[in-house]
Amino acid sequence: MLLVCGTIPQKHLSLIKGDAVFEQERLLIDGSEIPCTQGTAALISAACVTAKHLKSAPPQVLLAGDTGKGKGSHLLYDYLISHLSELNPDVLLMHYILPVMGQMKKVVAASAKCKKKPVLMADASSMYAAKGAGLAPEFDIFTPDICELAFLADPDAVHPAYIKHHLFTADGTQAEALIAAAYRQKGAAKLLIAKGSTDYVIEKGKIACTISEPDIPTLEAIGGTGDTISGMAGAMIVAGLTQMDSAVAALKTNRKAGELVNATPATKIRQLITTIPDALKNII
Amino acid sequence: MLFGKKNKNAFEGGGLVLFQAVDEAITAEKILKAENYEVKLVAPPPALRKGCDLAVEINITEKPGIERLLQSKDAHFVEILPLKGAGELLDVVKTKDFGDSLMVKAGNMKLTFDKNTGVILNISGGGCPDIPFLHISMLDKKLTEASSPKLKGYTLCALMLDRAFTEALDIWKKEAN
Repeated sequence: MLLVCGTIPQKHLSLIKGDAVFEQERLLIDGSEIPCTQGTAALISAACVTAKHLKSAPPQVLLAGDTGKGKGSHLLYDYLISHLSELNPDVLLMHYILPVMGQMKKVVAASAKCKKKPVLMADASSMYAAKGAGLAPEFDIFTPDICELAFLADPDAVHPAYIKHHLFTADGTQAEALIAAAYRQKGAAKLLIAKGSTDYVIEKGKIACTISEPDIPTLEAIGGTGDTISGMAGAMIVAGLTQMDSAVAALKTNRKAGELVNATPATKIRQLITTIPDALKNII
Repeated sequence: MLFGKKNKNAFEGGGLVLFQAVDEAITAEKILKAENYEVKLVAPPPALRKGCDLAVEINITEKPGIERLLQSKDAHFVEILPLKGAGELLDVVKTKDFGDSLMVKAGNMKLTFDKNTGVILNISGGGCPDIPFLHISMLDKKLTEASSPKLKGYTLCALMLDRAFTEALDIWKKEAN
């Protein structure tokens, strides 16, 4: 089972847990609609359509409302710390949750108490918390973009806003140096799925694959295109693909979906997600 | 490393609020706790000390929300700094031209607007929980009509988005003239 854990931009929504379904640009959690925007909603939607394509079970989700003050994020941490061993997911994918390093340490400790330790994936602020807490090597997969790769390579930064200038000015051509630094500083997970003008899949510090076609520069502007990669990869792993095959297929599918939707800087993520099923037919 | 006994379950926020006087630190701690921020009083390491020898440790990601709250309560402080690194926020801003639209990148945040209308087309990057909320509240609005992310956001991602927004607004106003 894929368990996606994250926040959605609603102030008063308390903790909800259930099955997710994506239909006609609408995301439903146990029958209630959640706006399909950039963030965890986009990730879940991409995971749903991928699971459906692969004929596997839909993702389970654990969500809480949070608009930045952290209340919902703390509910999620507390629930995971107390219940992760009962939930016993195959893959735990942590996403938009206020980074709280001490709480992240407790979640990782709780994951070790599961019957079988889940594949640990972190994207967005959960990746910031994992790296900031010195837990990156405990994670199986991180999904950074090029800026976040610089963050992983910076031994001092606990958030990308504090990356050293010389690392941020690094462009895509210096990705290999950033990757080497990230592993040297123990700032990287075992596998990195790195999105950029060229995508990289890196396993234990070595570049296993690069993807740069089809070239769709406008994808960078569309909010949620990193979220969709994480969601697809998580769903593929649960469906039985290897982590490496899932990483490559998710990156290729994202580019193909961008091509099929004729992505422009104004394209919304829900439009791109609706083309994922057709894109997947070309990939797996 | 902060002074004192190491406790593996202790709060680790990665940031400090520094004060001129001890009573200012105590007042700030009360204000922040009343708003449910996780904080603790600590002795700042000598390298960071500016003013008195008492500081409030905070989750550095929450810097913008904490700064705004303390200012709104007239609580005096010297500075908010991360515990590690040079302490300077990234101030590099880049742009990418898509023809009819322009993407402005500040740190991990990107804002793209229509060069003809000034309408915000997309916001990407980031990862803190206020970003989806800001995304919804700003999308499809004109730059001149959208609220500054700094006023509504609570995290460092919101602060980076504010830098992208401010730069985009400057570019738009210059082009309009």
